Amino acid sequence: MPTVVRLLTLALVAAISPAPRAAESLNLFAWSEYVPQAVIDGFSQETGIKVNYATYASGEEMLSKLLTGGAAYDLIQPPDYIAEAMIRNKLLRPLDRARLPNLRHLAPEFLALPHDPASAYTVPYMIGTVGIVVNTERVKEPIRGYRDLFQKKYSNRIVVVNDNREIVSWALVTLGLSQNDITRASLAKARPLIAEWLKLVKVFDSDSPKTPLLNGDVDLGVVWSGEAAKLIKGNKKFAYVLPAEGYHSFVDLLAIPATAKNPAAAHRFLDYVLRPEVSKLISDEFPYTNPNLAARKLLSPEQLANPASYPPLGKLDTFRDIGKAAADIDKLMTDLKTAAAK
Amino acid sequence: MTDLVQASPGTARLPRFTGWLLLAPLAVWLIAFVVAPALILVVYSFSERDELGRVVFTFTLENYRRAADPVYLAVFGRSVAYAAITTAICAVLAYPVAWTLARTRAPWRGRLLLLVMIPFWTSFLIRTYAWITILKSEGLLNGLLLYTHTIAAPLELLYTPGAVVLGLVYAYLPFMILPIYGSAEKLDPALIEAAHDLGCGPWQSFARVVLPLTRPGLAAGVMMVFVPAIGMFAISDLMGGARVPLIGNVIQDQFVGQARDKPFGAALAVIFMALFALLYWLWQRRTEGRVA
Amino acid sequence: MKRLSSHQVFCTFLRGWTALVLAFLWGPIAVLAVYSFNTSRLNILWEGFTLRWYAEVWGHAPLMAAARNSLVIAGITTIASVVLGTAGAWLLHRYRFRGARAVRTLVGVPVLMPEIVMGASLLVLFAALAMPLGFATVVIAHVTFCFPFVLLAVQARLAGLDPGLEEAALDLGATPLRAFWLVIVPCLRPAIVAGALLAFTLSMDEVIVTYFTASPEATTLPLRIFGLAKVGLNPMLNALSVLFIAATIAVVVISERLQKTPRPPAA
Repeated sequence: MPTVVRLLTLALVAAISPAPRAAESLNLFAWSEYVPQAVIDGFSQETGIKVNYATYASGEEMLSKLLTGGAAYDLIQPPDYIAEAMIRNKLLRPLDRARLPNLRHLAPEFLALPHDPASAYTVPYMIGTVGIVVNTERVKEPIRGYRDLFQKKYSNRIVVVNDNREIVSWALVTLGLSQNDITRASLAKARPLIAEWLKLVKVFDSDSPKTPLLNGDVDLGVVWSGEAAKLIKGNKKFAYVLPAEGYHSFVDLLAIPATAKNPAAAHRFLDYVLRPEVSKLISDEFPYTNPNLAARKLLSPEQLANPASYPPLGKLDTFRDIGKAAADIDKLMTDLKTAAAK
Repeated sequence: MTDLVQASPGTARLPRFTGWLLLAPLAVWLIAFVVAPALILVVYSFSERDELGRVVFTFTLENYRRAADPVYLAVFGRSVAYAAITTAICAVLAYPVAWTLARTRAPWRGRLLLLVMIPFWTSFLIRTYAWITILKSEGLLNGLLLYTHTIAAPLELLYTPGAVVLGLVYAYLPFMILPIYGSAEKLDPALIEAAHDLGCGPWQSFARVVLPLTRPGLAAGVMMVFVPAIGMFAISDLMGGARVPLIGNVIQDQFVGQARDKPFGAALAVIFMALFALLYWLWQRRTEGRVA
Repeated sequence: MKRLSSHQVFCTFLRGWTALVLAFLWGPIAVLAVYSFNTSRLNILWEGFTLRWYAEVWGHAPLMAAARNSLVIAGITTIASVVLGTAGAWLLHRYRFRGARAVRTLVGVPVLMPEIVMGASLLVLFAALAMPLGFATVVIAHVTFCFPFVLLAVQARLAGLDPGLEEAALDLGATPLRAFWLVIVPCLRPAIVAGALLAFTLSMDEVIVTYFTASPEATTLPLRIFGLAKVGLNPMLNALSVLFIAATIAVVVISERLQKTPRPPAA
C-alpha cells in the first residue's frame, strides 16, 4: 500500500508543473506521424505558434471524430475520396490562395483532380500508389500483376494491406471492371476471385505492411508505395511492380475544416509545408511521390531513382467516394475472410 | 461464509438517508456515464447512416436483421472461443502465482505484486512488438531452436491462432492473478493446517480448501478476462495477421473503419452486451439463490 | 516424514511456477530492453550498441509531455476509482435494497462494453452535453472503465468477510462511517491495492477510449506511442519503455529505503 501511495503521489507531483501556454496554437489532426516532428518544431520556432498534433489511423476515423464535434481542428489531412465527400457536404473551408504563395511549386498534374476539380479546398501533400513488392531472393519467377501474384504456390507467403476497399478494387481491375464501380452486381462478379485470393494471404496489415516482409515471414506483398520505397532503400533484394492489370493512385491532402478556430495559422502552416526545403524533410521520412517540383530538385539522385517513390505515372486514377456501398464491401469481406480462415 | 451475512438480520438492511447519500455518487456516475452512453447506443442501433456516416434517427430493425446473418454469428462464436481458451489458460497460470503471492510475507509480497504489474505499465503495442521480435520466422525463438539443432527449419509461429492466444493470455494474465490474490490473501492459514491435520496432502488441501474458498476471486477474474477478451481486436490484428475477423474487428470497422456504419456497429454491440448482461444477471441470481 | 516431503514438493512447485510465469511476463520486456541499445533503426537484426535512442527520447518534447499527461490522468483515475469502487462494493455488500442487482449488472457494463463502442458513445455524450474535450473528459472516461475493476476485486474479498467485525465496532460505539474506515477498509486493503494496481495499469495503457475523449492538448503517452509505432517499430519507444520501468523500480527502491531508515533495526 505505501508503495502504491508513493507512486500515486509522484504522478500527482508531475501535475503541479504544467507546461507554459503558448499565446497561439494550431490544432493539427493528421495521419499517425505523417508530419515529421522536425517540420512541426521548425514551424513553431519560426512563428511562435504551438502545434498540437493529434493523430488518426484511417480517414474514416478522422471524419467520425470531426463530425461528432467536441474538439476543434484547424488543419486536417484527409484522403482524396473523403475530401470529396467533405467538400460536397460543405465541411471544408475554401482556401485563401493569396496566402499560399508556395502553391506555385506544385506540379499541375496533381491539382484539379476529380475530388476537388478547382483545387479550391485542398492542397496535395503526398501521392502514392498501391503496388506489388517482391523479395527477389526468394521469388525467382517474374511477377507482373495480380494474376502472377495470387497463385497457389505463393500460398501463405503474401502480405496485403488490411483495407477492404483496396482488395476489392484489385479484383475489379483484374476482371477488367472499373475500381470505382462498386455495385452489388460487380461485387458478385468479384466475389469468387477474392475468395480464392484471401486463402493465400498470410498477413493483413495496413499500418506497417513492410514489417512481415522485412522479418522474412512473407516474400510478396501488395502495399503502399511509401512502404515499398523504405524496403527498397534498405535492401536491393526487394522490387516494386505496378500491377499490369491496372493500379490506382491515392492523394493525401491538407485541408482546413469549416469549423477551424484558427484558419490564419492553418494557412501559415500550409504555406510552410509547401516550402521546398520543408517539403524535402517530409520526403526524407516518407518516400512517397512528392508533388512539390522545387522540393524534388533538393532530393538525392538515389531518392529520385527509387522505383516505388517515383514510378512512371500515367494519368492519375484515384478512388471516388462510394457512400453507402462501403457497407456491402464490408459484409462481403467479413464473409470471405471468415470462410477463408476455416 | 456468505450465509452469515444473511443469517444476521442486523447487517443487511435497507439503507437509510445516509445509505442513500453514500450510494449517490455511484448511482450518479452509473446513470451519467454508463446508462446514458448505453442508451445512445440503443438509439443508434435503430437508426440509419447518411452518406458521410452520420447517424440519422429513424426507426428501423434493419441493423438487427443484418446482425442475425450467419456470417456475423460465426464471427461471434469464434470470438467467444478465443476468449474462453484464453480465460482457461489464464486461470491455470494464475492460481499458483496468486496463492504464492498470498502466502508471501510483507516486504516481498509488495515487491512480487509490482513484479507482476510493472510489465504492463509499458505500452501494449511495444510489448506486442517485442513478442513479434521473438516469434517471427527469423526471430529469437527460431534462432535459438535452430542454433541448438532442436529444429531443422524455422517454425511458423507468428500469424497463427496459437500466437493470438499467446498474445491474449499475455495481455490479460494480471487481470486473473490479482483478483484471485485478493481473495486468497484472507484465507486463514488455520484452515489449511486443519486440512493438513485431517490427513490432506498439500495438493489435496489446495484442491479442497483453497480452490473453493477463492471462488469469488476466480469469478471476478473470469469476468475481467473473458468478457474484455471477446471484444479485443488489436492482438488478432498484430499477432494473427488480421486473417480472422473477430467481433471487435467488425464493430471497429463500423465505427471508425471504411464501413462507416455506426448504427450497424451499435446493433452488434447492443446484442453482445445484452447477452452478457443477461448471463451476468442470471449468474448473480443463482449465487444469491444458493446463499438463501 | 512423507507428508513433509510432499509439502516441500508443493512449495517448490508453487515457487517454480511463479518464477516461470514471471519469466513469461518479463521475457518480452527483456527483449525490448536489449533492442533499445541496437543501432538498427528497423530493429530487425542486432547491429551494434548505441545510446542514441535514449538521447532521442530525452529530446522528444511531445513524448515527455504525453508521459506527464498519462501519469496525471492515471493518478487521478486511480484515486477516484478506488474511492468509487470501494465505497460501491461496500454499500452493495452491506445494504439490501431494491435495484441492487440492477446496479451490480450496470457496474459490469463498462467491463463488457467494447472499448470502441464506449469511446464512441462517450464522445457523443460529451458533445451532447457541450463538454469540451480535455483532461476532464479523459479522466471521466477512464474512471468509468476502471472503477468496476476495483469494485469487482473488493467485492470478491467482501464475499467472505466476517460480519461480526462491523457489528463489534458498532457495539463499541463507532458510527457506521468510522467503523467502515477503521475496521473494514484495513481488512479490504489487499483487494484495494490489487484494484488500484489494475486501475492504474488500465489507465496507463488505454488507447481507444482515450482516443475518442482526448483533445490534442490532453494526448496521452499510449496515444503518442500508437501513432509512432503504427508506421513501424521505432527503437526510441523501446528506450522510453526501459526508462519508464527503470524509473518505477527506482521509485519503489527509494521509497522502501526511506521507509526503513527511521526504524530501529528489525533483528
